[in-house]
Amino acid sequence: MPSEQDLSADVVIVGSGVAGSSIANELVRAGISVIVLEAGPRVDRQHFVENFRNLENKPSYQGPFPSVPWALHPPNQITPNDYLHTTGPDAEAYQQVYLRMMGGTTWHWAGCAWRYLPSDFELKTRYGQGRDWALKYDDLEPFYYQAEVMMGVCGPDPAREDLGSPRRQPYPMEALPISYAAQQFRKLISEKTPYRVVHEPQARNTRPYDNRPTCEGHNNCMPICPIGAMYNGSYSVYHAEAAGARFVPNAVVYKIERDSANKRVTAVHYYDPDKGSHRVTGKYFVIAAHCIETAKLLLVSADEQSPDGIANSSGHVGRNMMDHTGVQVTFISGDKALWPGRGPLETNVIDNFRDGSWRNERGAYLVHMVDDNQVDLATALAISKGYVGRELEEQIRYLASHTVRLFSHNEGLADPENRLTLSSTHKDMLGIPHPEVYYKLPEYTVKSCEHTRGLFRELIGLMHGTDEQWTPGYFPQDHPAGSTIMGTDPKDSVVDGFCRTHDHENLFIASSSVFSSVGTGNITLTVAALALRVADTLKKELSHA
Amino acid sequence: MPDVARKILWPALGAGAMLAALSTAPARADEPSAELLARGKYVATAGDCIACHTRPGGQPFAGGLSITTPMGDIISTNITPDPDHGIGKYTLQDFEKSVRHGVRRDGSRLYPAMPYVSYSGMTDDDVTALYTWFMHDVKPVAETPPATSLNFPANLRITMAIWNLVAGESEPETGDAATFDKLRRGKYLAHALEHCGTCHTPRNVMLSEKTDSYLAGASLLGWYAPDITSSKTTGIGDWSEDDLVAYLRTGHVDGLSQAAGPMGEVIEHSSSHLTDEDLHALAAYILQVPAKEDDGEHPARARAGQALDTPDIRSGELTRIDNLNPMDGKGVYDANCASCHGDNGAGTGDHYVPSLFHNAVVGSGHPDNLIMTVLEGVNRTANGVHAYMPGFDGKSDVQRLSNAEIAAVVNYVTATFGNGDHGVTAEQVGAQRVQTPKTP
Repeated sequence: MPSEQDLSADVVIVGSGVAGSSIANELVRAGISVIVLEAGPRVDRQHFVENFRNLENKPSYQGPFPSVPWALHPPNQITPNDYLHTTGPDAEAYQQVYLRMMGGTTWHWAGCAWRYLPSDFELKTRYGQGRDWALKYDDLEPFYYQAEVMMGVCGPDPAREDLGSPRRQPYPMEALPISYAAQQFRKLISEKTPYRVVHEPQARNTRPYDNRPTCEGHNNCMPICPIGAMYNGSYSVYHAEAAGARFVPNAVVYKIERDSANKRVTAVHYYDPDKGSHRVTGKYFVIAAHCIETAKLLLVSADEQSPDGIANSSGHVGRNMMDHTGVQVTFISGDKALWPGRGPLETNVIDNFRDGSWRNERGAYLVHMVDDNQVDLATALAISKGYVGRELEEQIRYLASHTVRLFSHNEGLADPENRLTLSSTHKDMLGIPHPEVYYKLPEYTVKSCEHTRGLFRELIGLMHGTDEQWTPGYFPQDHPAGSTIMGTDPKDSVVDGFCRTHDHENLFIASSSVFSSVGTGNITLTVAALALRVADTLKKELSHA
Repeated sequence: MPDVARKILWPALGAGAMLAALSTAPARADEPSAELLARGKYVATAGDCIACHTRPGGQPFAGGLSITTPMGDIISTNITPDPDHGIGKYTLQDFEKSVRHGVRRDGSRLYPAMPYVSYSGMTDDDVTALYTWFMHDVKPVAETPPATSLNFPANLRITMAIWNLVAGESEPETGDAATFDKLRRGKYLAHALEHCGTCHTPRNVMLSEKTDSYLAGASLLGWYAPDITSSKTTGIGDWSEDDLVAYLRTGHVDGLSQAAGPMGEVIEHSSSHLTDEDLHALAAYILQVPAKEDDGEHPARARAGQALDTPDIRSGELTRIDNLNPMDGKGVYDANCASCHGDNGAGTGDHYVPSLFHNAVVGSGHPDNLIMTVLEGVNRTANGVHAYMPGFDGKSDVQRLSNAEIAAVVNYVTATFGNGDHGVTAEQVGAQRVQTPKTP
């Protein structure tokens, strides 16, 4: 471990996920020195693949990733757990999961790489709901493309399938081939409904790309792509390290130090796993530590100068917690067998409800037809029906091939009452409080979910479905956003349109925590695009310095 | 390794050498026929000039590729028609002398990394066509690659003249090579153009190909160019002509073998572009090359092994995310290989991912190519298919394996699917790892 004096760089980044590592890679290649502090450890794919093979509960996304005690992450989804405490009427709908380790949570995403719609950035102006962002789609478009190239995104030809987000360039890779189940589903939707199913853009190789192989359809993108065909943040970590960026694992940042005027950040302090404290100085600082951990860090760092936490003169740090809280159902199709579970997990989306004039009263949503292997669910169902012996085997085969799983991403809305605070009862081994979130689903989202349930019932009817199993209440989508919300007014927002904190001129935030609205598409590509825009801003400022 | 070269070449220096002064005449600037240009391009492809004369990411034929030899690194030259940096000032006679006799326009000797000993068998017509195509259709590139600097005494180009006296040259074929009968055409392709022996024939102490061991197998930059004689065990005597044609066209034959490394490049740049007729001629000729030895004590390279029956190779343990402990061979296989090659080693149903049993690379007595494949992966495009496997060396984004892990997994794979555990050590993997290209 170097002495404290050694720990200094032009830019200090907290968090090594897609946001932090991609900023590091951009900066270091422009000749700017970078230190990235990661709370979790350095990791190896092979151990996760082996963990996944050994795991009994295969659909457990967090299962292969048992956390280290100095950087806890939630052990499982939906169910209450010992780390992320949730309260409020819809507490269970905010049981998000994420990973604290080198490369971040994209180790177990499904690769869905949506751009937001232009309207998503102007929700207030267009529909009188929620908030506008302090930037427009066109400001982000070049960075969306840069992020798509960085991650290796495949998608449909816009001339044939326009996803509503204008593009200046085609996708870096051709869209995925359509699985058998998806073909059947597409046919049904196009023939019997006014809706459409589109190719989901995916950060997944449809040809060898960036020294990684083509997707083989192992069907376990979550919890772990076993061959590296899907992008995750570790590739940006490797690229940045190869170019000279320095990554420090097991560095749990707990304090953000400012100058006497409280205008500039001068250092961050971190604990190693033995609670040895280290100080890291720099010219610029970027917090890129995931929506929940970023807000937690700003609040934990409260001191006499900033008693409510860093960058929190507005009081909005930790507020406006959003997600794509949705609805989920599985059922047994009475029509032809679909044989789901061959190919990537999420490739087909009904996108008719991503935008419309009705957004003035209810939230938008998109629907995934999830193409995952259903043998677990089919087996449980067949046993519950009392089958044994050969009949059991036949039933499992029948049910597994006829199961349909649908879930939705429904648009959340920024509500200051939905708030992350520090737990007063739970602390980790370093003495840092656990995060706690109060969550009440906004009426806007409730109405959206009701509409989705109606659509699901329509589809179940069309497919002569039986054995419906609705996930009780609402379904968390692990797309938390809003905890350091973006806006033009420093009185009711935390960062400006460039993700710079209103309060501290050299402190930036790169995370879904800056989202002013949450739209419907998965958040990662927008996180990456915002991060690359932060890198662009820093490059310009440091080259003029 | 430089010591070897020193030992070999030093005594030869005393012998002296004479370089014949050849008169030259400027080339005619007539517009060449489309047929002549097409033929020249085909000869350049069959001779695989681009393989050595283009660096990764560089302009075609502009040189700059570093070729490791026992004498040191040789850097290929610019052979585009640029007058100052390339061969733009070469007359046909100059060109002929360098291609067939290894003598540059300035009279100095080429290093024998240039396979002029093979090219010396080219017909006059093909040399003319090749020259015409280079001068006419190759884009001039105004850049000079770094100069080669070899260890003494090989750094003295005069040494090469002596080497050349010992190495000898072939008599050029005569007549119209397009009209040769099948075996003569095949021999012409194998010797004069594709120069198979450059890699596949072991060399004597003078680094010349051993004529009595033609195509019997030799080491090459960490890889092993295997025995491709008609030996039914160590060679490819059990392959059909169609098998070999398919291999040379696509780089892959189900249940036999697949190409990676230098052979993958040969297939990508050269043999996959040959005509059907030429591929059959080449295959027919190769398949009748006499076996050097046929011990018959073990199954043929590509016939070894079988699928593992319902294996469960899981470790059974769930470990914390900070576990970076090295894995044993079975564990490395389960976590890194089984996803594509199957826990039973059978590969994929469409054979895009090959089976590990009935696979000449795994069944070989030389584990070199299996080690190199794990280190470097496979990256070969031929016949419209991009065959790709990630490498697992220190540059891998998928998984970086240690020397000990690679040794363990190679031993697991050969023991389980091939001809037994070869006892590969971490040191052996380390020695091969240094042969892999450096990060650009």
